[in-house]
Amino acid sequence: MTYHFDWSTLWTGQSGGWLLQGVITTLQIFAVGLIIAIVLGICAGALRTVPIAPLRWLASSYVEFFRNVPLLVWMFFGYFSVPPLLPQAMQDWLFDHGAEFWAAVFALGVYHGARFSEVMRAGIQSIPKTQLEAALSTGLTVGQAYRLIIIPVALRLIIPPATNETVNLLKNSSVALTIGVAELTFQTRQIETYTAKAFEALAAGTVIYLALCLTIASIMARVERRVAIPGLIVQGHTGTS
Amino acid sequence: MKLLVAFLVAVVLATETTNLSFAESTLEKIDKSGTFVVGTRTGSPPFAFVNKNNEWVGFSINLVEQGILPALSKKLNKQIKLEKKESTVPTRIPLLTSNAVDLIAETMTDTQVRREQVDFSLTFFITGAQFLVRKGSPVKGIQSIAGKRVAAQQGSTNAKILREKVPNAKLVEFQDQPAAFQALSQRQVDAYTNDGIQLAGLKAKAPKPDDWTVVGDFFSYDPYAMAMRKNDSDFRLVVNVGLMDAISSGLYFDLYEKWFGAKGEVPYPLTPENKRFLQLQVVPK
Repeated sequence: MTYHFDWSTLWTGQSGGWLLQGVITTLQIFAVGLIIAIVLGICAGALRTVPIAPLRWLASSYVEFFRNVPLLVWMFFGYFSVPPLLPQAMQDWLFDHGAEFWAAVFALGVYHGARFSEVMRAGIQSIPKTQLEAALSTGLTVGQAYRLIIIPVALRLIIPPATNETVNLLKNSSVALTIGVAELTFQTRQIETYTAKAFEALAAGTVIYLALCLTIASIMARVERRVAIPGLIVQGHTGTS
Repeated sequence: MKLLVAFLVAVVLATETTNLSFAESTLEKIDKSGTFVVGTRTGSPPFAFVNKNNEWVGFSINLVEQGILPALSKKLNKQIKLEKKESTVPTRIPLLTSNAVDLIAETMTDTQVRREQVDFSLTFFITGAQFLVRKGSPVKGIQSIAGKRVAAQQGSTNAKILREKVPNAKLVEFQDQPAAFQALSQRQVDAYTNDGIQLAGLKAKAPKPDDWTVVGDFFSYDPYAMAMRKNDSDFRLVVNVGLMDAISSGLYFDLYEKWFGAKGEVPYPLTPENKRFLQLQVVPK
């Protein structure tokens, strides 16, 4: 049995267009999912550390609930279980306007929001307690102290694990193919079924994901160097080359 | 980083000029391992599915167990074990080419394009593509499908043909039949396209069969055959001899009656011309 390599199948015919569409869809899912995850992550992470017990409990429930269930289950949940519970008019609108996309974005957002909140919490807890005490003693409320002092500092501290979570979010967008979203991995399989060149198709997908993730990592490394607070972090060689 | 790019370029150049060659034929592989690995479906009644008693059964599976396995054991002069692995539309050809399975025995349509990638056995079933819709749906066939949301399996002939014939139908492609049917049940799509017999099977096994109808004339011709790796004539001969013996001995028609007869899982009478076609495929010994 011989396998004949034929790299031209990647750009001849419909393959090139499919790959491009796939990359665009992946980036769209990534962008919207990331915004949701960051917002949820910062809120939940901060709420887990405030001195008010009910808020802590609320944030903990959210985190434990959403991160302990596989992402794939949340995808199916968002696509197959949530729409039937909505009013009919909303259902019809949703199915005409990319229900698959929004279900995928919802699942990614809440799942990575839970993971991101733990990263945020670790960052906040690594700030000396004296910072909060000093802030409160200057007359700021807890909310103001968090908003103006704690969270901005914490964000600077958590850039390495945050990069990890961001890159994970991009890679996890591929799970959306199970609910019919035509993102990059879906398109590589499409090319594979139409041309039977499995190696070439998957190699293309691999290279594109690598390129996207390395780009994100290098941007984050640059950000890290820019916003590092001198004296606060043990500064070694940061990020990628 | 530069090293990574250099490595990738080297891989591309190396593969451009070489062909990977595995000298072992399928018969040698089965002989050495004593196991015959078959890729088949788990959610395509009545060809290959898991029934109420959690048994993995079906028409295609029976054909392999009772028609092809004996021919294989006879050819290799030893008892061969059968192992079943799940295959779906997007995974079946990769499973074959990666040597994970030796034969795909499910609901695969024999087409000229696919013959460039795999070899096919004789045709063992004849059907065509139709639509499954909710009873009372305005969709009556391919003429009324424009602009509607249609579910299909990624990589199937139905998805390909629908994309070509009705470009403005909104195709939503799933990885397997159960996911596509669930989307249809929950009205996420207006119709599900697949081969007529599979739709009939799905309808028969649905919780409320009367809610569904199979509509439309066949908008494609779908002869089912079993797929195997290319350029493996000895193995292909054994498979074809197994199928031919099953047809000439009447085993095929008994199995057909069991699964598609009046009391079968999915009643689907065998037309006289299809029966003749099957019988004429049996060449003299």
